[in-house]
Amino acid sequence: MSAIQLSNVTKRYGDLTAVRNLDLTVESGEIYGFLGPNGAGKSTTINMLLDFVRPTEGTITVLGEPVGDSSVDIRERTGVLPEGFDVYSRLTGRKHIEFAIESKEADNDPDAILDRVGLADAGDRAAGEYSKGMRQRLVLGMALVGDPELLILDEPSTGLDPGGAKEMRDIVQQEADRGATVFFSSHVLGQVEAVCDRVGILHKGELVTEDSIEGLREETGSEETLILTVDDATDDDLDPIRRLDGVSGAAVDGPTVTVSCESGVKNEVIATLSEAGIEIEDIETESTSLEELFLSYTDGEGVVEKDGRSTGSGGGGDGTGSQPPEATPEGRQ
Amino acid sequence: MSWLVVARKDFEDAIRSRWLIGLTVVFILLVSGVSYLARQTASANAVLQLSGSLFVGTLVPLIALVVAYNAVTGERESGSLKLLLSLPHSRADVVFGKVVGRAAALSTAITVGFVLPAVILALGPFTLEIGTYIIYTALVALLASVFVGIAVGWSAAAPSQRTALGGAIGLYFLFVPFWNGIQFRLRTAIASLPDWVPLSAETVGNALYLSNPASAFQGLTTALLGGQFLSGESAGLQVSALSMLLFWLLAAPLVGLLVFQRRDL
Repeated sequence: MSAIQLSNVTKRYGDLTAVRNLDLTVESGEIYGFLGPNGAGKSTTINMLLDFVRPTEGTITVLGEPVGDSSVDIRERTGVLPEGFDVYSRLTGRKHIEFAIESKEADNDPDAILDRVGLADAGDRAAGEYSKGMRQRLVLGMALVGDPELLILDEPSTGLDPGGAKEMRDIVQQEADRGATVFFSSHVLGQVEAVCDRVGILHKGELVTEDSIEGLREETGSEETLILTVDDATDDDLDPIRRLDGVSGAAVDGPTVTVSCESGVKNEVIATLSEAGIEIEDIETESTSLEELFLSYTDGEGVVEKDGRSTGSGGGGDGTGSQPPEATPEGRQ
Repeated sequence: MSWLVVARKDFEDAIRSRWLIGLTVVFILLVSGVSYLARQTASANAVLQLSGSLFVGTLVPLIALVVAYNAVTGERESGSLKLLLSLPHSRADVVFGKVVGRAAALSTAITVGFVLPAVILALGPFTLEIGTYIIYTALVALLASVFVGIAVGWSAAAPSQRTALGGAIGLYFLFVPFWNGIQFRLRTAIASLPDWVPLSAETVGNALYLSNPASAFQGLTTALLGGQFLSGESAGLQVSALSMLLFWLLAAPLVGLLVFQRRDL
């Protein structure tokens, strides 16, 4: 049985189409990473799964039941960390967990849950005093109540520091090991890469690709980009490099030479350039990572929050949105 | 009993509200003050009648609207409604749970608030009819609950927090000053209805009077303090007034729910 099934789902707000003809299936027991830049329609999709918003067209089933008529039954078996939520500022963290336990008629120990999400010491404080990251942990804790069959987590790493994001991934993995299906969204691939069985990339309301992490890796191959700073070079100087096996392209722009090649031929490229009498002042390499593949699917809108700040741990965007994140300088000499 | 879980949480949340606490304190001081000043010269029932017409009938609906107008819109705007609806609660559970939770919080505050005036009035020299006093307190709590129901219903239907606030102010002026003013004029205007109207002028006047929960409350308390609660000449009218209050208590949230059901969060 599939845990989540969307068939031809469209959501329009007036003239704006937030989600277009979306077909998506999440199999029972898998961890599915739902990726895309902000504004791609991820939260709209998740809000439709939760019956917060209703699709304009199409049908949605969750845990085998149609959303809408059975949304209360579905939510009895689902743990949710929604996007854009707020806590009850006057109530303590423990009260929140207790409320989730009562609501789900579960028999969890509130303190065990608080401990699991790293809030063991903060349970008696009013949730209004919590930081963004603590609120995120608290609601993750509420989602874990009752050992749900399905976890729906919308940008779970928001507001968490790298350590917190790692703890969150560990919890996701533990839940999956227990047998739960996990569906979670992120605008940063680095956060989902490590735990997801499959990812789907949403862009402008449409699913642009869907594959396993391995499948995506195959697609990217092992190409690297060499960025060389040289004293002087012309386009003609690059011809011997272009003739090398494993080099797919080379270009020069002022003092910068960019070469796309397989990682095994890097040294050969450098040697060939030196032989041609070009002095190399600096060498940088960028591996064509999944991150860049993600960016290529999303017009480079991968990592930046709406307000221009980057959050989360994996991507570490710089706020401009145009540069590839995680350029991995390896061969700096 | 999902609505009960929502109601209990909402009660615990609302009872900690500064607005509720502050307004209740003001209310207690007013009733206690009137009780203190008037107790030498008037009976306890007369004191209640006086505070009833002075401010209970006007202030209690106001407190209820202030405490409940943002019950749904406030949570929708802040996002805590997503937390509530991520758990297995239906939207009906949310609306009716909130009516019950906030009405209970306000009723608790009112009950506690009426203890101090009772003590003052019991000091004498007039005797305090404790039974009447308890029924009076219950009627005030019922009035508060009805306005909580109206406010929550409106809050569920309102598209935004600002609309909810504007609507609550409008509802207050409609039910409290305006209705009483207009009803007096209408009563005068329809003093003699043409023959083809199958209703007597009195019936129409009574309907106008009773359909406003604030005046239904006034009618009931006047009878109660006159020693004729649900008895005497106006017994029929009082039953109608009570039914009307219960009608508002259920109908207002229900209408709000119907709109809320169809809405995207």
